[in-house]
Amino acid sequence: MNAPAENVLDIRNLSKKFGDFTALDNLNLSLRRGQILGFIGPNGAGKTTTIKILVGAMRPTSGSATIAGADCVRDARRIKRLVGFMPDTFGAYDNMRVREYLDFFGAAFGIPRRARTKRIDEVLETTGSGWMQDRYVEALSHGMRQRVGVARTLLHDPEMLILDEPANGLDPQARIEMRDLLLKLAGMGKTLIVTSHILPELSRICDVVAIITQGKLRAFGTLEQIMRDLRQRRTFEIQLCAPERVETVASAVREALEPGERDSVKAHPHESLVRFDTARSDTELSVILAALVGRGLDVAQFREIPKDLEDAFLSVTRREVPAA
Amino acid sequence: MIPVFTREFLGILRAPRSIWALLAAALAFSSLVLARWPAGDLVDLSGSGSRGAFLVFASALLGGVLLLVPAFPATSIVRERNKGTLLLLLNSPLTGRAIYSGKFLGVLAFAGLMLCTTLPAAAAVYAMGGVDPLRQIGLLYAVLAVVAILATTIGLLVSTRAASPDAAVRITYGLVFAVAFLTLAPHALTKGTNGIYALISQWLRRLSPLPVVMHLVGQGGSVGGGILEKDSGVWQFLVAGLGLSAVLAVATMLQLNHLLFDRSRDQGKITDDQSTLVRWFRRLVYLVDPQRRKSGIPVFLNPVMVKEFRTRRFGRFHWLLRLAAVCAVVSLLMTLAATNGTMDWGVETIGGLLVILQIALVVLLTPSLSAGLISSEREGGGWNLLRSTTLSGWRIASGKLTSVAWTMLLVLAATLPGYLVMTWIKPTMWNQVVLALISVLLAVAMTLAVSAAVGAFHSRTASATVTVYVVLMLMYLGPLVVWAFRDDPFGRPLVERALLITPLGAALSVIGMPGFAQYQLLPAAWWVAGITCIVALVVFAIQVWRLLKPE
Ligand SMILES: Nc1ncnc2c1ncn2[C@@H]1O[C@H](COP(=O)(O)OP(=O)(O)O)[C@@H](O)[C@H]1O
Ligand SMILES: [Mg+2]
Repeated sequence: MNAPAENVLDIRNLSKKFGDFTALDNLNLSLRRGQILGFIGPNGAGKTTTIKILVGAMRPTSGSATIAGADCVRDARRIKRLVGFMPDTFGAYDNMRVREYLDFFGAAFGIPRRARTKRIDEVLETTGSGWMQDRYVEALSHGMRQRVGVARTLLHDPEMLILDEPANGLDPQARIEMRDLLLKLAGMGKTLIVTSHILPELSRICDVVAIITQGKLRAFGTLEQIMRDLRQRRTFEIQLCAPERVETVASAVREALEPGERDSVKAHPHESLVRFDTARSDTELSVILAALVGRGLDVAQFREIPKDLEDAFLSVTRREVPAA
Repeated sequence: MIPVFTREFLGILRAPRSIWALLAAALAFSSLVLARWPAGDLVDLSGSGSRGAFLVFASALLGGVLLLVPAFPATSIVRERNKGTLLLLLNSPLTGRAIYSGKFLGVLAFAGLMLCTTLPAAAAVYAMGGVDPLRQIGLLYAVLAVVAILATTIGLLVSTRAASPDAAVRITYGLVFAVAFLTLAPHALTKGTNGIYALISQWLRRLSPLPVVMHLVGQGGSVGGGILEKDSGVWQFLVAGLGLSAVLAVATMLQLNHLLFDRSRDQGKITDDQSTLVRWFRRLVYLVDPQRRKSGIPVFLNPVMVKEFRTRRFGRFHWLLRLAAVCAVVSLLMTLAATNGTMDWGVETIGGLLVILQIALVVLLTPSLSAGLISSEREGGGWNLLRSTTLSGWRIASGKLTSVAWTMLLVLAATLPGYLVMTWIKPTMWNQVVLALISVLLAVAMTLAVSAAVGAFHSRTASATVTVYVVLMLMYLGPLVVWAFRDDPFGRPLVERALLITPLGAALSVIGMPGFAQYQLLPAAWWVAGITCIVALVVFAIQVWRLLKPE
């Protein structure tokens, strides 16, 4: 273990365009050895694009990425040895048993036969898939395939594992098992990049989380940091007795807030509710409340909406959606 | 039925390959007729020129229908089943019959459209004179319609049973060609004899459109009534073809239900876990037990090549052994038949038949192995995995090509005993046999290279397989069609040039096959084959490199 604090992954100003469409916009990320990065964003956010650039299957339009000092564009061969990559599709072959499948990929990485046999036993053991070694790959269930897929990425003992949506489509039990497997791999000293379109799915086991939407990085840091940032911008609800004055209250709140926060004010006449996000302190908020009551508006309740992980994710991913 | 029909028909029309097929048909037929158009202003009243044109027109049409139509029904159902939309259809109020008729009519509508593009050419043939519009051209189209119906019902039946679109394509083409050509073989052997076999083979022959079309073409002079007379075979073909189609259609409809989805997954039973007795028994039956646990891939072998063998159903050793055994037996039997004099064929004819057997094996087997070398990886997601390994493009390409080359060489080696017996009977033939074998080897190389190269441009194995078969059939059967008309419309220089396209002509001419012996094709044919092969390999390599490089 040399210098555990150094960065294994460095992504600098990475952009990717498909014609006019910007799939990745100036991405900056770094990751230290042995960490698990949760790379999270809704479908079409640009996660797979980023990963494909990292493993050398796509060229960035601009910017650069290095893994353990190897450039993802120029040092393609070194990257292949450093990285174990599991794409979001499995890649089954007909008429092949799990063991033969792993044997083929082991041989493709040039592992000598003796060592390969031993290595296959090890990765089957690690991923808990030894019992299916004689099954045919095309007949495996989804959960079994994901395990075999992880086993395959481990064959050449790479430093870093990049797994695209490993928990996608798994049932709750299999998802827990996948989480345990990822923790086990991190325990073996691997650096992991794991993508998901659902934040709570994996984020609890991640050391760092990157949230990406529409090709832009929205939040990056430990889960606590992100949550703290998000909590600074709290959500409040004003419950009125009757729906008639909802619009009046909404415009009064809008006037009292900073210009940047005004868009978040939403009137919900059906529920007699006004909802808004703000970074203001409690004292400042009490002034707004007093003003509303002073104008004779019938406020029944003024409450803060507690946020969980999912809300945090939604509020981040919703925030900068451009107006249609 | 209507929604299934419109979806099927529009689906076919939207695919680029169908537009190409339509365009190619229209272009080919108009240029064909133009090429045969009489040079002077006078219409040739004897009609011999237009008969030649009609002959070319009819054989091209038949070839076109046989080559293009089966592709569409073959993939129709199996693709929907694998994508899951068939289950949705079956869960709708539509009955199996309605789904079937919709698909059937959708494919036929497209075939009809394709035949329509050839009508101007037919009109031109008629305008040249000497051809009866109803009794020759009209009946020709009726025969072609039945061929299309037959091909469609066969394709749809295969499509309900097959596991993958490309398997369906291969099996359908195999069956359609068997019905069109193999049905003639028993009759050729039993001709002139009586008895039950002769009768059966007489009936089998009725299923082939080939004699019927030849008959329609040949009747140019005596428009009188010869065509409709009893043994012209036209009506028998129409009835037999429609009858067989009806049987196939009913069989398919009965299968179009939820039971299609009730198949158990292979549980991966393995011989190593079974008792010693079972193990020994299996060893005796299979020689090489397919369900034994494989040892790892040795380092000195290209892993891609080994993988190719292991992932092919017929690449497993026990199948290769069976195939080789069958080839050896057939080639020996043919030669022995010649020595016994049971059929008064000369050694040259036997040699020619051996060559044809070998080339037929090459042309039928090679594309099924090599057309999907790249597309099957792209389809199944294996390509991205291969890219992420440290294998070089060179290793991937060469591993894939050698896996096919070894299989074909093994199969061909199994047909060698026939040649050995031949040279033993007539030792003077040794030189000819060597030259013929070199030509056959070149045919293997060329076929392999061309099908790999053409297939590499497709992302779906089914369409790769279809395109490759069409290209190869044109390459191999085209010259033979020209040769078949060597006396009437075509002259010797054209036939000779056509035979140069494939090494088949060269192999047949050096072995002295009657009808081919008079052409001088060596060494020009080898040059042509060699250059084609190299060009195709370069194209294949470039395509592999393009697909491997980052997007
Ligand atoms: N090869 C491509 N050509 C054009 N657009 C693409 C290509 N690959 C991805 N995209 C687009 O880029 C965006 C990001 O895709 P992707 O990285 O696959 O998202 P995800 O985060 O779901 O993995 C999507 O809008 C997708 O449509
Ligand atoms: Mg993705």
